[in-house]
Amino acid sequence: MIESLFSNPNYEASKLLLDATAARHEALASNIANVETPGYKRVDLSKNFSDAFSAQLKAGDLSSVPAPSIQQDPTATTERQDGNNVQIDKELMDMSSNSLQYDTLTEFVSGSLKQLQMAITGRSSM
Amino acid sequence: MMNLISGVNVTASALSAEQVRMDVVAENIANAYTTHGTDGTAYKRKVVSFESMLDPTGTGAQSVKVSQISTDSTPGPAIYDPGNPDANKDGMVQMPNVNLSTEMVDLMTASRAYEANLAVIRNARQMAAKALTIGH
Repeated sequence: MIESLFSNPNYEASKLLLDATAARHEALASNIANVETPGYKRVDLSKNFSDAFSAQLKAGDLSSVPAPSIQQDPTATTERQDGNNVQIDKELMDMSSNSLQYDTLTEFVSGSLKQLQMAITGRSSM
Repeated sequence: MMNLISGVNVTASALSAEQVRMDVVAENIANAYTTHGTDGTAYKRKVVSFESMLDPTGTGAQSVKVSQISTDSTPGPAIYDPGNPDANKDGMVQMPNVNLSTEMVDLMTASRAYEANLAVIRNARQMAAKALTIGH
């Protein structure tokens, strides 16, 4: 029973996505830190991860998804005169949505664990 | 290796770099009318350059550091002030090349960048606090 809760695809997926959102936060922090560094190119979560994740999610086996990593963002277009392609407003917006996503995922993981606790003790925790 | 508060090293590096930039702007503004600098000539304004470096934690994020503080060698204006001890024989005094409006803009940009990085830290902190509530 307990195994089935912990190997639930949604639970597995949210664990991976928590790692991914934390990594993405690091990438966005790097972009905002370098907003005035000439020649800096923005970084983001590697496409490698998101591709593997969505493919494996459909297949129902998330064990082979690589750990989320950060790489240079090839889709960023607008480049300033100093060779930097960070847009501070976009980064800040991405950061809010990223941390909202993180909050949602923590709520989901918490909810799953609370369900388990309720099943064990027969009453809700609070 | 992942921190509990992600991106804290990168953001901290940016905060200190912006801090250096604000210090240099402060120095420039303070010396806007210094006609007799340490080398005996008019003060020359200083400029900070930033460069990024790969964060040692190996996540692929890039921290920022001050690569150099260079001197702007554009000549400043010369004004006629024969009573000034630094005046030459024609009564002209070489003024520093500090432009107060440029410095104020620089100061504002640096402090906004500082604020943006503080927002990142605040966000990361909330995320970490949220992670600690898992299971409660």
